[in-house]
Amino acid sequence: MSVSYKPVIWNRSKMIYDGVLLAGIAIYILIFLKVGPVLSPALRDVDLPTQRMRAFGSLALLMLTIVLAIGPLARIDTRFIPLLYNRRHFGVMTAIVAATHAYYVLGWYFSYSPTPQLTALFTSNTSFTSVAGFPFELFGVFALIILAVLAVTSHDFWLSFLTPPLWKAIHMSVYLAYASIILHVALGALLDRRDLALGFLSLGGLTLLCVLHLMAGRRETASDHAASAKAPEEPWIVVGDLSEIAEGRAIIGASPGGERIAVFRSKGGLSAVSNVCSHQNGPIGEGKVVLGFITCPWHGYQYRPEDGCSPPPFRERIRKYRVRLQGSTVVVDPQPLPLGTKLDPVAIPAELLPPTPKKEGTA
Amino acid sequence: MLKPAERGFFVGYFKKVPTDVRALMIGFIVFFVAGMASASVLLSLNTDSPGAGSYADELHGEHLIGTMETSPYPVLRVPATGSRPARAIMLAGSGKFGVDDRALPLAGKAAQVGGVFVKRGDLEMLLIGGGDDLKAAEPQAVALPNPSPSESLGRWRLTGEICDGKCGGGAMKPGTGLAHKACANLCINGGVPPVFVSTAPVEGHIFFLLSSANGGPMPARLLDKTGAPIVLEGTIERRDDLLIFKVDGFADGAGA
Ligand code: HEM
Ligand code: FES
Repeated sequence: MSVSYKPVIWNRSKMIYDGVLLAGIAIYILIFLKVGPVLSPALRDVDLPTQRMRAFGSLALLMLTIVLAIGPLARIDTRFIPLLYNRRHFGVMTAIVAATHAYYVLGWYFSYSPTPQLTALFTSNTSFTSVAGFPFELFGVFALIILAVLAVTSHDFWLSFLTPPLWKAIHMSVYLAYASIILHVALGALLDRRDLALGFLSLGGLTLLCVLHLMAGRRETASDHAASAKAPEEPWIVVGDLSEIAEGRAIIGASPGGERIAVFRSKGGLSAVSNVCSHQNGPIGEGKVVLGFITCPWHGYQYRPEDGCSPPPFRERIRKYRVRLQGSTVVVDPQPLPLGTKLDPVAIPAELLPPTPKKEGTA
Repeated sequence: MLKPAERGFFVGYFKKVPTDVRALMIGFIVFFVAGMASASVLLSLNTDSPGAGSYADELHGEHLIGTMETSPYPVLRVPATGSRPARAIMLAGSGKFGVDDRALPLAGKAAQVGGVFVKRGDLEMLLIGGGDDLKAAEPQAVALPNPSPSESLGRWRLTGEICDGKCGGGAMKPGTGLAHKACANLCINGGVPPVFVSTAPVEGHIFFLLSSANGGPMPARLLDKTGAPIVLEGTIERRDDLLIFKVDGFADGAGA
C-alpha cells in the first residue's frame, strides 16, 4: 500500500498552513491592540476591554469571510485547492477567535452586575420591536453556537459517524452563521458608529462572497446543462474524445439525470467513476491517478480505478460505470453499477496510444 | 494531443509541491499576511473618540457630608462652603450597582460619603466603595442647613440619548451608544442613576438626571429607548447644581 495514501493527521502542508494562519491572527491582533492605540488617539481613549472585543470581533468576521471564499475560489481556479485541504483548521480558529470576542464582551458589558452574566445577556435588552436598539448580541450568540457545533464536528470521525450527507447538511449552516453575523454587525456596531472600514468589511465582504458563489455556481450549472450527447446506442452517452484525456487525468461527462461521471486514463486503460467524492463531495474528475489510485483533489482520498474502493483499511467507495471506446470516442453507460463492482479498465488500442506515454504523476 | 501546460496536481500530504502551485501559494501567503496587517490598521484606526469622561479622585480618601435624598435616585445635597456653592451629587456603587439599599435608611438624614468621581462635562457622579464609604454622619447633631427647595424650570422637549450616568460619565469608554445599550440597561436596572444627554443645553447643562413625571425613578418603559436618539417631553427641576428631567411623554404624544 502506498505510504502516500493516508491523509495523515499532521504533515508539512498542514504545519505551514497552520503556521501562516496563526501568524496572520497574531499580526492582526498585535497591530490592532499595540500599534492602533499608538497611531490613533481616538482608539487610545477607548477602554482596553472594548478595544479587545473590537479586535477579536472584526478578526472573526474577516476570517469567516475568507473561509467562505475558499470554496468558490477553488471551484473557479483549481490552484486554490490547497487552501481547501486544511480548511477545517481555518474554521476552528475562526470559532476560537469569535469565542474570544464573546468572552471579552461578557466580561465587560455583561459583568459586575447584580444580574448573572448569561441571564443579563438574554434579558437586559428586550427592544425586539425596534431596529435601532435591537438586541443584536443575540445574532452573535446564535452564530457562535453554530460555529462551535461546526468546530466540534469538524473532525473526520464525525463525518463518518454522522454520514457525509448529514454532515454536509449540518456544515451548510455556516452560511446561516454568516448571515447572522452580518445582522449582528449591521444592527450593532454599524448602526452605532457608522464605521466605514467595518462597513466595508461586512457589506463589501458580503458582496464579494455573493459574487464568488454566483460565479462558481454558474460554472456548475453551465456544465450541468451541457449534458453529454447521446451515443447512437441507448442509454450510452458520449463523454469526449480520447485525445482530450491526459495520462493520469480525467474528462467529465454528465448523465441525462445530471449525475457527473469522470473517465480516467491511466497506463493505457480507461475507467469511469462517479465524479463525486464520498468524503466531502469533492470533484474527483479534477483529480489525478497517483501511484495507481484515483486521487481526489480536495483532501486526497484515493480509490482503485477497477472497483472504486479505497484500499484497506479504508472503506470509502464510489460508483463505477461501464465505459467503451468507439473509435477514439469515449462513451459511458450512465447506469451506475452497484457499489464495489469490479470492472477492469478498458484497454486503449495500441494505435491510439501516444508514441511515448507521458510519465504518471508522482506523489 | 495532450492538453497544453498541464497544471500541477497537489494534495496536502504530497511531499513535492508542483512549481505553479508553489508560486500561487507563496503569493497567497504574502497576500494573506499583508492583508491581515492592512485590515488590522484600517479597522483599528477607524474609531471615534469616546470623549473626555474619566475617573477623578477628588476626595483623596476624605468624606463629603450632606443631606441624603433618595428620590428619584440617591443624591447627596452638600451645603455651600466658603466660595463653593451647594451641590447635589448623584451616587452610585461599584460595578453596575446603585446604592439605594444603603441610602434608603439615611433618607433625609445627614450622611457621610466617600469614593471616586466620574466626570464628564457637567455630569458628575460619586461612586461609593464598600462599608465605611456611606454611613450616617457622626455626630448627627451637627445641624446641616436645610437643602434649598427645588426650583422648576418649566416644560421642555429635549432631543438626546438615555444612558446610565456612570458609564456615560466615563466609567466605560465608550459608555453611550447602541453597542452599549444592553450594558446601560443592566446598570440602570442595578440602580445606577440614568441620565439624559441632550443635544442642546438647558441653562448650560447637557446632562440631566432622569425621573418619572411624579419624581420617582425613571419609568421602566424607557429601558427600551436607551442608547438611541430620542425626543422626550417633561418638566425640568433644579436642585442646586443638578437638573432633573421629569419625563412625562414622548414627543409624539405617547405617555411614558
Ligand atoms: C455570544 C456571542 C456574541 C456577543 C455577546 C457579541 C456581542 C457584541 C457586542 C456587544 C459588540 C459591540 C462591541 C462594541 O462596538 O463596543 C459586538 C461587535 C461585533 N461582533 Fe460580536 N458578539 C458575539 C459573537 C460574535 C461573533 C460569533 C462574531 C463573528 C464571527 C462577532 C463579530 C462582531 C463584530 C465584527 C463586531 C464589530 C466590532 C467592532 O465594534 O468593531 N460577534 N459583538
Ligand atoms: S472531498 Fe475530501 S478527499 Fe474528496
